[in-house]
Amino acid sequence: MEIGLAHYLAVAAILFTIGVFGIFVNRKNVVVILMSVELILLSVNINLVAFSAHLGDLAGQIFALFVLTVAAAEAAVGLAILVVYFRNRGDISVDHINLMKG
Amino acid sequence: MADFGSNMAALLPEIILVISGLVLLLVGAFAGKKAVPAINLTIVGILLLVAVLVLLRIPDAALSLFDGALRLDALAVFGKFAALLASALGLWLAYGYLKTDKRLTTEFGVLILFAALGMMIMVSATDLLALYVGIEMQSLALYVLAASNRDSLRSSESGLKYFVLGALSSGLLLYGASLIYGFSGSLRFEGIAAAIANDASVGLVVGIVFLLSGLAFKISAAPFHMWTPDVYEGAPTPVTAFFSVAPKIAAVILIARILFDPFLQMLADWQQVVIAISVLSMVVGYLGAIMQRNIKRMMAYSSIANMGYALIAIASGTAGGLSGLLIYMVLYAITTLGIFACILAMRRAEGMVEQMDDLAGLSRSQPALAIGLTILLFSVAGIPPIAGFFGKYFIFLAAMQANLLWLAIFGAVASVIGAFVYIRVVKIIWFDEPPQQDFVPVSRVQAILVASSATLMLPAAIWFLPALYEWSEIVALSLFAGG
Amino acid sequence: MMYLAIVFLPLLAAAVAGLLPRLTGHLGAQIITTGILAVSAVLSLYAFYDVAYLGHEKTVEIARWFSIGAFEANWSLRIDTLTAVMLVVVTFVSCLVHIYSWGYMAEDPHKSRFFAYLSLFTFAMLMLVTADNFMQIFFGWEGVGLSSYLLIGFWYKKSTANAAAIKAFITNRVGDFGFALGIMAVFVIFGSLSFDTVFAEVDGKSGQMFQFLGMQIAAIELVAFLLFIGAMGKSAQFFLHVWLPDAMEGPTPVSALIHAATMVTAGVFLVVRCGPIFDAAPFTSGFITIIGATTAFFAATIGLVQNDIKRVVAYSTCSQLGYMFFAAGLGMYNAAMFHLFTHAFFKALLFLGAGSVIVGMHHEQDMRKMGGLWKKMPLTWAFMLIGTLALTGFGIPGTYFGLSGFFSKDVIIEGAYMAGDAGRNFGYLAFWVGVIAALMTSFYSWRVIFMTFHGKPRGDEHTFAHAKESPLSMMVPLTLLAAGALFAGVLFKSDFVGSNSSEFWRGSTVAETHESALKDDHAVAKSSNDHEPKPSDHEKKQKSGGEHHVPTWVLWSPFVAMALGFVFSWWLYIRRAGLADKWAEQSKFLHPFLYNKWYFDELYDVLFVNNVKRFGDWFWKLGDQRIIDGFGPNGFAAVTAAMARKATRLQTGFVYHYAFLMLIGLVAFVSWVVLRGVGGQ
Repeated sequence: MEIGLAHYLAVAAILFTIGVFGIFVNRKNVVVILMSVELILLSVNINLVAFSAHLGDLAGQIFALFVLTVAAAEAAVGLAILVVYFRNRGDISVDHINLMKG
Repeated sequence: MADFGSNMAALLPEIILVISGLVLLLVGAFAGKKAVPAINLTIVGILLLVAVLVLLRIPDAALSLFDGALRLDALAVFGKFAALLASALGLWLAYGYLKTDKRLTTEFGVLILFAALGMMIMVSATDLLALYVGIEMQSLALYVLAASNRDSLRSSESGLKYFVLGALSSGLLLYGASLIYGFSGSLRFEGIAAAIANDASVGLVVGIVFLLSGLAFKISAAPFHMWTPDVYEGAPTPVTAFFSVAPKIAAVILIARILFDPFLQMLADWQQVVIAISVLSMVVGYLGAIMQRNIKRMMAYSSIANMGYALIAIASGTAGGLSGLLIYMVLYAITTLGIFACILAMRRAEGMVEQMDDLAGLSRSQPALAIGLTILLFSVAGIPPIAGFFGKYFIFLAAMQANLLWLAIFGAVASVIGAFVYIRVVKIIWFDEPPQQDFVPVSRVQAILVASSATLMLPAAIWFLPALYEWSEIVALSLFAGG
Repeated sequence: MMYLAIVFLPLLAAAVAGLLPRLTGHLGAQIITTGILAVSAVLSLYAFYDVAYLGHEKTVEIARWFSIGAFEANWSLRIDTLTAVMLVVVTFVSCLVHIYSWGYMAEDPHKSRFFAYLSLFTFAMLMLVTADNFMQIFFGWEGVGLSSYLLIGFWYKKSTANAAAIKAFITNRVGDFGFALGIMAVFVIFGSLSFDTVFAEVDGKSGQMFQFLGMQIAAIELVAFLLFIGAMGKSAQFFLHVWLPDAMEGPTPVSALIHAATMVTAGVFLVVRCGPIFDAAPFTSGFITIIGATTAFFAATIGLVQNDIKRVVAYSTCSQLGYMFFAAGLGMYNAAMFHLFTHAFFKALLFLGAGSVIVGMHHEQDMRKMGGLWKKMPLTWAFMLIGTLALTGFGIPGTYFGLSGFFSKDVIIEGAYMAGDAGRNFGYLAFWVGVIAALMTSFYSWRVIFMTFHGKPRGDEHTFAHAKESPLSMMVPLTLLAAGALFAGVLFKSDFVGSNSSEFWRGSTVAETHESALKDDHAVAKSSNDHEPKPSDHEKKQKSGGEHHVPTWVLWSPFVAMALGFVFSWWLYIRRAGLADKWAEQSKFLHPFLYNKWYFDELYDVLFVNNVKRFGDWFWKLGDQRIIDGFGPNGFAAVTAAMARKATRLQTGFVYHYAFLMLIGLVAFVSWVVLRGVGGQ
């Protein structure tokens, strides 16, 4: 069986789904959410690179590099906010982040 | 196709922002605390300067930059100018407020500056990559801004929520972008348009829905609005004021550009989705606003509903709709800034108050502020002859011309519920018994903003609406003629 | 231009005083309104001279009001002698009442509002009397109704005043309903609302019938009848009189201006103005005579026993309006106008005099607590005496000695006899009622004088000791009105009803045709007109002699009635003071019956008010609250609130819920477009 575009897309879709589920099924730790976000971005990267290879167009791969860069920045910002939150709350359990609602 | 030099020249405003942002960050790091107010004021100045520069450098014809990654046309100029002005005013408002609270930092101004830079890229992006970079540039700055009051649990919680959900929405947007890229074979809008003209596959449809979902998050349209009330409530009030104006303008223009430029041929496919989002936003926004007692939260729901109206205009998919959208967004921005200036003025000796009931008796303690706020609330409620009514009017007109009469009627009915929300505040201001303690006097910035925004809403400012209408017409036609 | 000024200056005054009270202040409002009214009054006097004596009538076109198909109405002022007379009465009395109010309302905290209302009323009344079509007269009609309502309820913190204001308003609605129907009938029948057009066509339409529920009704009769219903309401005639006595809850200057001199005479004015219509409607004219006579009699009987000084005067007004109506019903339009004219002076005088007493007695209105005041308030006493003499018609028949009421009332009573003599329906009845009512008028008027000013003080000693003469601002209007009450009759008699009348009215009232027919003597004009010429002036009859001679006993009968009333009153309240109270106590039926105003209020309560309330209650609770509100605003609001609570509950505050909802939205949209795409392809 030859590995084709459809397979890559399927893997990416599965990764994406896992990532999304990771965000709303996980109720314990915010760090897991950050990891899920990374997962989503990676699935997009697989998509982009697969399409790029399939189309023979480099733009997709460049996009993937940009995504990686931005993902790094995003992780940095996210962790920074998480640290600030932890300082105030003393806890990073997702279950406890509901001071504001309604 | 322009060479590198002229490309860079066309991006002069952006380049000024980048360099001054980096320089000021360094200056802030070394100059110490005393320079902080000066740096922030400098940034206000730079933003205003760049806004003027953008207006001065309107190209004769639409310019395509960097091989079609960015486009400098009337819509981009409009968006850049509006976003820069809104950012400058937002920072100016925040400056006075944070200075009083002794929480002003260099980073605050620089972050707003970089957010403004992101918005400038957003409104001129004609490439999925540029679009993504612009959005992320703006969003990352906004996440930090939401959590900028580092000692407040509410502020950091709102930052965290905003970040988590924002990252999710970025994921959706990116996934959509990757699908569009895969099925059209291009990241450029031109290429996408060409591919759609050739064959509009289901993959593209799915892609645009993902992309729309990600963008709907940025303008806080239902059902991607859930972050809005919490973030608006938790973030420092001047940040909320900034959130509710500048990023909304940029994101709405971005949506309009992507839907009206490459995806206009797929109008039938995305129109239903936009209408659904629009209706949901109006319903959720106004219903949610009814129950609120916190005025920042109420404004959050109000902005959700207002985005619903903006989406009506987008759903029409016509030049008239785009022109109505621009008018609506400008009026919305002015009114919202004015209202937030009023909210920022709700300060007692012991600190800020945010409950609506605290406005009771404002008419007696500060009649001028009360009159201004009343005009602004009437405007956002859409009561003629205040300008806000015309904003809604043009949108309904566009919807009717696009055979979306029922959507216009729905919008009108929803605005009745909305009127209740806003007029209840007016009632509290004028008729409820005042509490014992008076507000501290209004600062000059707030007074200027409230007075000028309220004045622009009045029919007395007769030059304003026609001028705005004319400009929006030109902008709308530029996109439709070029696209 | 002058006429525009007369009519619209008061509106300007009302607007300035009413809308800009902070700018003007109370004193400013008083000065502006009173000054403007004075200007208006002086201009009116000149206009009266110009129109009535120099003959410069005209119609001043102002603007097109509306035009819907054939339904047109213009704003224009019709200035003829009839209007000029009313202009003088309205502006003159209004001006004096403004001045008087300076003193009377001195301690009121809402003076500018009061003066604004007064000026507004004056404007509306002037619109009414200068109207040249039915729409405009209706505008004025409703305008005076509104300002009357506002002024009766001026002391809005007093619940009785509010109730009285509402009562006046609602009772007037009944009349106005008839009036509005009448105007519609005019339009249906004549196709126009302009007075000139309508009056010119009355003769041509006299045979026309009107189909209604299978009945054949003469069109003119129908129009006349409906218009008269309106007049009944405004002029407080029998059945619709109930509001007038209650209206005395308003400030006394208001009672004098609106409920004595001007507004209540609007009904009479309407009948006289529409004389051509009423003249062609003999049945309705008979009805008017009966209603007028009944009111004259009935109101007088009630006046006999009332103890509130203002109520006595109010019933007296009611009664005098009855005189005017039966005169008009008998075709004596000029006499009715003459009585209206003189009555305005002496009744305003009486009211303002009563107001002076009330102020002097610290807002005590019950005559049983007065007495002996003439030493304390000699000027007021003198003025009241003049007013009473004028009202009772004091004068020597056959001479030129007499007060104003003598001339106008006797003309009516004698005219009624002559009408009866000439075979006019109900003429004799009206005559006898007039004489008897004159007796009662005399009795109750003198009773007021005796109970208030003579005898021993019966009230609070402290109040009595502090009673003093009213300020100058109240005395000046009284003086001027007293002059009017003394001389208006003798000066204007020949113009209004005497030898000069045809030159005076110049066709603005119908009676002119009768008068000229009379002058040319009997035979000539008779055949052209269905009606007998109405003798309205006994003097002329005496000159022309023949069958129109008024018997001497008829001439003297009002005088005798008046004298009897005086003697009787004197005997009961001075000579045998206390006897009246004893009789009242012993009386089981008559006194309570009269004292309770023939139980009209109670009757209406049982017949209408309670039922309407119950009916309204039913509509309110079931129709409005349950059905309309239930499914309409309240239901909508409840549903909205419930949904709002649900929408808010979605906002749990948990990030994973938010993310989940976003995903649900995304999945829903994606499946929607994909399914749609598949279905479409």
